[in-house]
Amino acid sequence: MIAPFRNEPVLELRRSPQRDALLEALGALDSDLPLRVPVWIGDEPRMGDELTSTDPGDPERVVAVSAAATPAEVEHAVARAVEGAPAWAATPADARAGALLRAAAILRERRHRLAALAVRECAKPWAEADADVCEAIDFLEYYARGAIALEQAPPGLLQLPGERNTLAYRPRGVVAVIAPWNFPLAIPLGMAAAGLATGNTVILKPAEQAPGCALELVRALREGGVPGDAIALLPGEGEVGAALVRHRDVATVAFTGSVAVGLDILAAAARVPAGGRHLTRVVAEMGGKNCVIVDADADLDDAVPGIVRSAFDFAGQKCSAASRVLVHEAVADALITRLAGAVDVLVVGQADTFGTAVPPVIEHAAQERVERYAELGARTGRVLTARAFDVPSAGWFCPPTVACDLPGDSALLHEEIFGPVLAVERVPNVDAACDRVAELAFALTGGLYCRNPRTVDHVVQRSPVGNLYVNRPITGAMVGRQPFGGNRLSGTGSKAGGPDYLLHFVEPQVVTENTVRHGLVV
Amino acid sequence: MVGVVDEAAVEAGIRQAGGELAAALPQGARGPMRALDDRAMDFASQDAELRAALFRFVDVVPACRSLDDLARHLTGFLDDVEDPPQPIGIAMRMGDSRAGRAALGAAAAAGVRRMAHRFIVGQTPREAHGVLRGLWDDGVAASVDLLGEATVTADEADRYAARCASALDDLAAVYAPLPERPLLERDSAGPTPRVNLSVKVSALTPLLRPDAPELGKRDAAVRLRGLLRRARELGAHLHIDIESFDSREAVTELVLELLGEEEFRDGPSTGLVVQAYLRDSPALLERILAWAATDRRRFPLTIRLVKGAYWDHEVVEARQHGWEAPVFEVKAQSDRNFEALTTTLLGARPRVRVAIASHNLRSVANAIAVNRLLGGAPADVEFQVLRGLGDDLQGALAASGQRVRAYCPVGDLVAGMAYLVRRLLENTSNESFLAEQAAGVPLDELLAAP
Repeated sequence: MIAPFRNEPVLELRRSPQRDALLEALGALDSDLPLRVPVWIGDEPRMGDELTSTDPGDPERVVAVSAAATPAEVEHAVARAVEGAPAWAATPADARAGALLRAAAILRERRHRLAALAVRECAKPWAEADADVCEAIDFLEYYARGAIALEQAPPGLLQLPGERNTLAYRPRGVVAVIAPWNFPLAIPLGMAAAGLATGNTVILKPAEQAPGCALELVRALREGGVPGDAIALLPGEGEVGAALVRHRDVATVAFTGSVAVGLDILAAAARVPAGGRHLTRVVAEMGGKNCVIVDADADLDDAVPGIVRSAFDFAGQKCSAASRVLVHEAVADALITRLAGAVDVLVVGQADTFGTAVPPVIEHAAQERVERYAELGARTGRVLTARAFDVPSAGWFCPPTVACDLPGDSALLHEEIFGPVLAVERVPNVDAACDRVAELAFALTGGLYCRNPRTVDHVVQRSPVGNLYVNRPITGAMVGRQPFGGNRLSGTGSKAGGPDYLLHFVEPQVVTENTVRHGLVV
Repeated sequence: MVGVVDEAAVEAGIRQAGGELAAALPQGARGPMRALDDRAMDFASQDAELRAALFRFVDVVPACRSLDDLARHLTGFLDDVEDPPQPIGIAMRMGDSRAGRAALGAAAAAGVRRMAHRFIVGQTPREAHGVLRGLWDDGVAASVDLLGEATVTADEADRYAARCASALDDLAAVYAPLPERPLLERDSAGPTPRVNLSVKVSALTPLLRPDAPELGKRDAAVRLRGLLRRARELGAHLHIDIESFDSREAVTELVLELLGEEEFRDGPSTGLVVQAYLRDSPALLERILAWAATDRRRFPLTIRLVKGAYWDHEVVEARQHGWEAPVFEVKAQSDRNFEALTTTLLGARPRVRVAIASHNLRSVANAIAVNRLLGGAPADVEFQVLRGLGDDLQGALAASGQRVRAYCPVGDLVAGMAYLVRRLLENTSNESFLAEQAAGVPLDELLAAP
């Protein structure tokens, strides 16, 4: 009997010994860099150096040197996954869960090193990197339990005399996991764990920016007991993912990333290739344009720090991050002044320094993109942040920007920026704010600062988003507590870390048996 | 004054000191308004939903823009209360019409303001003059605390520091002409300042980060140094308050580091706080005492011992993160620890001065008893109470010749609301000593060992 799920506790970083342990792990990791990442299919890792990941805070530092999967390797990986599928599907759910729980224990043991790796490879500040490790562990623990429950206690059916009806969930086959770099541990592992727990074989295509993290995940899964044919690692650029998505033997695609790529995957998956024998199912999570509404009765003491964290932690590189604030005009001046002042004191710096709020963004192209939006904000609106931030010259740093008085059709108000840029708009009332939210194509997360319970109910009713947070930051969803995923163009409506996520990875099968023989019920 | 105290003698001393204090407590007499507030508080103590509704209302009062808005909030919160008592039903019906809402809003606003005035002595230090003088006349010193909104910007930190500096000036002017009160102005270690200001490091910097104590320390140090200099010039005492465990390391380290700087050896008189509900408070106190042992300063460091006011916050935060709570989860453990730390502190004089801040008769009687057994004079241990919450105890302490100081918050309603809600929660908590006392628990039980 497995103990009930509980979230893996994050490190108590307010205690200095815990911080010291992380810094020590970083020192040890640094001396092992660069990591060597193979294309890893079955028992045959193939080393290579076609791909490198570097420290976004110091692009000279190579974090991982990786092989990149060739088209032949994609074919080979899918073939092995197809071969391995029956045996893994036939493994009872509790045995599969056992492997995932052992992998969780391995990650727990290595948590400091893994957090350090996320700091180096993706410039995640410590607290965020540690939370990423914990969420990865949570996904393993949560889906392991969920898959057991799905197998051992599926929903009951109506039973009449003379027939026996059973509903069971069967694995769909091969799952391609196409993962982002911003949660380089939790998101790839969460998608992979859901597939594995339910008896599918999984091919992981990690983000090209984070192959090092992905290797650690696959290693833990295999050491935990997941067979080589059930989990493959295919590092590479976009074409590896594109080939997987279009492969006739890939039954399910689990994707987290940009809306452009997501829509392409959905379109590709909808076409059944010659010889294809199934409809490829896509589980997609595709970003957002997340708004925080601040009503006139909001407690600005809570709202200001909450908005700042939501918008600027990890340089705003979360799909859940806040990018628009819609504030009631009665408190707009106060909020804007305090928000600008609070952003001015943020520490822009290296991810490995405790206290850094805004680390460098992931790569040069991201820096250029953020700069374009910041310039557009300055040209067409008013930039509120006054301080000239001291940023290291090397590294992809972007100082935080808060802009207001933007034209209604400004790109800053409609496009996902994925960086430390926040737009503030005044609204005459909460309904006007809800109208603007309703106009958006995205509907991932939203926030509301308000102390009138009737207004809260009203905004809940009007809100299209997948996750609405009231009087708290809008990031930091926890497995089992805040199942996460968006609606509209933000995603396919799946909820990672929630009770129904695994259903996307299985096919229901109903068996009805006649139990009447010779007019007798036997 | 170091010495082992005999447990039986302490228990006997506690019963004696407790009896003296109990005899000096006022019996039943209450102003009519105070009685009304107490009834409202009784109501709230008995019904958790009603309590939640009332506190959520009090919390939002300063943000309401009109009486109508106030009434809408109030009825919105009361909606959530099942089986409301009769007066609530009346309030809800008033919420149905515009005129009714105006009347309800006015009544509710007046009620909140009245409660606020019980705990907050004035909108500005200047407005508090009368209360502070009155206290001094009654033989009670004060420590003034400037309430404010959270500090999230550098400007706000600068403004708070400026308000503190100007409060020091104001207080110096208030206290200068007052008559001498030897019990309040001198102990065996020497003179103690009349002017006493409590400051919060979280208000002196927007950069307190639990995982980066250095950041907040560096930023707050600049402003705190300025205040220390001003306090020294005016001969005032500056007490650095402690808040939640998130900032405990930064605040404690900051104070010890700044006081170690050469320029502050000769003053001002300063103090910090130890929270007895923290599991690691004995180790922290040992560290502070070790620091005090090597530090030669004109005014011994004052250590204010409190139980701690952030218990709910600490427990909720720990639960949400899956951590062991830094606080004792059973109240009796905090009470026992408070007594143990009291003994340690009193034994550590004259290296430190001791302020015992509790409304618990047993905790206070224990400090009096241990002080007597160690041969301390009454002036050698100070008792501190919260304005509005410990008024009766304050009177009894002063009447029985103990040295007592009231912690007096100053600020407007907007700034004061968080403080007010905390005090009201404390006042209606079923575990609180005050609630037990009000419920008529016999003296023997109130003085029983925790």
